[in-house]
Amino acid sequence: MAFSLYIHIPYCVAKCPYCDFNSHAATSWPEDRYTAAIIAEIRHRGTQTPFAGCPVKTIFFGGGTPSLFQPASIARILESVAATCGIADDTEITLEANPGTVAERALAGFRAAGVNRISFGAQSFNPAILKYLGRIHTAEETRSAARAARQVGFARLNLDLIFAVPGQTLADVRRDLMEAVALEPDHVSAYNLTFEPGTAFFADLQRGRIRPLDEDLQAAMYALVRDELPQQGYPMYEISNFAPRGHEARHNLSYWRGESYLGIGAGAHSFAGEGAGGRRWWNEKLPARYLTLVEGRGEAEAGSEVIDGRTAMGEFVFLNLRLRSGLDSARFRSRFGCDFDEVFGSVAARLTAGGVLLREGGWIRLSERGLEVADSVFAEFL
Amino acid sequence: MTAPELIRNFCIIAHIDHGKSTLADRLLERTGALSKREMTEQFLDSMELERERGITIKARSVRLTYTAKDQRNYVLNLIDTPGHVDFAYEVSRSLAACEGALLVVDASQGVEAQTLANVYMALDHGLEIIPVINKIDLPGADVARTREQIEQVVGLDATEAILTSAKEGIGIDEVLEAVVTRIPPPPANHDRPLRALIFDSWYDVYEGVIGLVRIFDGQLQRGMKLRLMGAQKDGEAMRLGYFAPHERAVEALGPGEVGFVVAGIKAVADMRVGDTLTTADRPADSPLAGFKELKPMVFAGLYPTEANQYGALRDAIDKLRLNDASLVCEPETSQALGFGFRAGFLGLLHMEIAQERLEREFGLNLVITAPTVAYRVRTTAGETLMVDNPALLPPENLIDAIEEPFILAAIHVPEEYLGAVMRLCEERRGIQRDLRFAGHQHVILHYEMPLAEIVFDFYDRLKSSTRGYASLDYEFLDFRPEHLVKLDIRINGEVVDALSMIVHRDRAYERGKALCEKMRELIPRQMFEVALQAAVGAKIIARETVKPLRKNVTAKCYGGDITRKRKLLEKQKEGKKRMKQVGRVEIPQEAFLALLKLGE
Repeated sequence: MAFSLYIHIPYCVAKCPYCDFNSHAATSWPEDRYTAAIIAEIRHRGTQTPFAGCPVKTIFFGGGTPSLFQPASIARILESVAATCGIADDTEITLEANPGTVAERALAGFRAAGVNRISFGAQSFNPAILKYLGRIHTAEETRSAARAARQVGFARLNLDLIFAVPGQTLADVRRDLMEAVALEPDHVSAYNLTFEPGTAFFADLQRGRIRPLDEDLQAAMYALVRDELPQQGYPMYEISNFAPRGHEARHNLSYWRGESYLGIGAGAHSFAGEGAGGRRWWNEKLPARYLTLVEGRGEAEAGSEVIDGRTAMGEFVFLNLRLRSGLDSARFRSRFGCDFDEVFGSVAARLTAGGVLLREGGWIRLSERGLEVADSVFAEFL
Repeated sequence: MTAPELIRNFCIIAHIDHGKSTLADRLLERTGALSKREMTEQFLDSMELERERGITIKARSVRLTYTAKDQRNYVLNLIDTPGHVDFAYEVSRSLAACEGALLVVDASQGVEAQTLANVYMALDHGLEIIPVINKIDLPGADVARTREQIEQVVGLDATEAILTSAKEGIGIDEVLEAVVTRIPPPPANHDRPLRALIFDSWYDVYEGVIGLVRIFDGQLQRGMKLRLMGAQKDGEAMRLGYFAPHERAVEALGPGEVGFVVAGIKAVADMRVGDTLTTADRPADSPLAGFKELKPMVFAGLYPTEANQYGALRDAIDKLRLNDASLVCEPETSQALGFGFRAGFLGLLHMEIAQERLEREFGLNLVITAPTVAYRVRTTAGETLMVDNPALLPPENLIDAIEEPFILAAIHVPEEYLGAVMRLCEERRGIQRDLRFAGHQHVILHYEMPLAEIVFDFYDRLKSSTRGYASLDYEFLDFRPEHLVKLDIRINGEVVDALSMIVHRDRAYERGKALCEKMRELIPRQMFEVALQAAVGAKIIARETVKPLRKNVTAKCYGGDITRKRKLLEKQKEGKKRMKQVGRVEIPQEAFLALLKLGE
């Protein structure tokens, strides 16, 4: 079975106060050692069940800040993937980059190494908001990074945006959208800011130092995003993702479609579908311990869970419903061997009658209102 | 068998913490009922715990043997009384089995309010009451004041009160002597046909129902064909005995004796507290006085939150009823809640206990609908119906009259709280029938009141407005036509049958409004807007809205998030398990009982 490959680079120059990803602020990092560990883990996983002999569909370097690594390191990793699993010419290879840490020369190097899609954490073009979000880059750096990416031949370019930042107005959000669109990316991700446990923002929220925006305003901002980006040529294809047809992030689509993926690197998660269910596992999170483990035994699995058929159905539903196209009941049937309505018919009927789900042909998807309360809808299927 | 003149039957009346258990332990120890080794602390109490958990043998009466100063060997039966005043009838049957009572009062605390109701009841039964002033060893003990209080508040002569410290073992012999000399022996009616009072009964998995009996007339012998006069059930005396406190089997129990009987009875409902046991061969002419088949006063629907739990609920109710004679259940169907049961309870406490046991012991999640009393409805067609489920009230145009049950309430209250109690009764549509001064600053009030005004929070209100000093007892009077209407609650425009209630016309508006407000608080925001309306017929009298959730959406969900997000969603879902889906709306259990929470 073909699979998607995720490679995690956990280092950052600074930890952003809203970020709950496995990222670690550092002034220096053991780049060679970490690269070697990644390669060792790829060799290990790539030659064992269930992924041995399977083609790689997409590759995604996430973080952390993968662009902190030298292009040569990324090249070595990609060479090892090619040698172990093989990489087709049309494989989507994405790398996340911080516009503040990437020079034109480095971008050229990543492109030369085989990366064909670049994703910048722009977040905002408003200096005050960038500062509030603890970003180390400026709006101008984002603009020049985007231009440089074009220059060195990246046809595929994503910009990440964050909205609903305390103090932000609807006009601010609209301006950020326009600024982003002006750079002509082929993909925009726009995330509603949330306060996740374990982040600095969450602690501030608990202590009453932050007041989130009014829920009505947040909902209005989300509506603005969903309205504006499609008008600018970026149809919404997932709860937070917008791109012209054919330019969707194929790597992420595989998550939302419930397909198999292999995660390499500190804290990375993997999923291998098997029958109706499957197995999910995750690596040791702390980079130092990850390194020791991989150096000792070739992998760093820290935990796993078996996903039984019923759980897999629930996951399949809530992941697919994140997609604007929704859930294809034909795919549900071929995956689980039973009709969607056999399992979820009465729930779906209630939600459809309530106006949060829409059904057209064999497709089931969220309505506009359903998007606002998507998690409440999803919970009904678990 | 013991000669009646050598038997003394007594109980202990005490406020919680005033030393009842310790005193009982001392009596057991002093009479040698328990060896030192067995003298684990508070024997009776630990038995009580077992009882709560439903474990086989429980001793609710203990036989003590005591050699008195007159050198004769006496049998003393210490009969325990249930603790809660809401089970007043059970208390009254335990008292009926005794000739005397020890009133234990803490020398440092004085007479506590809760004790009074039981003392009054003991006096009504003509029991000889021996005041015992306990904890005299404590630094705060004030014997003189306590004596004075017993005389003033309770109205008993306390000059011969016994001074004890159960903890230190002081005064225990004096207590035992007083039991022998001051409490009269039971009457010796050997030759009459058997009459024995059932004053407690419980279900045992191995033996069926075990009854505690006090023999009044004749003899109970093993092998006898027995008849329960109230239940009209026959059985056989398969096993007889007493607790001392360990179980001892005997061949016969004679007049005045207390013991247990196993008679091959399958359900507690067939051997109810208060019933009279006689022989099938030579039955007594009449049963002992005071048997009341307790009638349920409050009715409510019991529904599983998940429809597939109906069978489990039915089985659980069957098991519960083996041990609970006063729980009445009939299957019923609700449009909103599906299949369930209409259950009758003695009162709200009984209802709470049943709910808790069903949920805790049988692992069920239940919805209980708003409790109601049973109304008598006369239809235009000339029929008479009993309606214990407001949803089943016939359409208004077919009703000639709705009659509601009235009770006669007897309230004992110290004079200083008289005004507060009268105000409360009048608020509740009470009609004063009698006001009597009984002894020192102590008043007995009689009110005719609608049962519906009593069963919900009246008792709590009565207690709180008299600092606990008032006691309440009531008996059914009759049905009276009143201006009653059905108050419906609509959710998103649909009448939810499980939330309907019958109220007095003058109260409908106020009730409907308060109910909608309370439900708005109790129903969490959800995906869909929840419109709440209170209506009498087609007329909307109050409305409230639970606004829908504005937003609830996870912005980011990639490979590493899936397990975590799923678990978060599962948690969200778990929180809804205790809610009942009605149409598109999820209603938490508490919201069905919003009626009971209006005062909060």
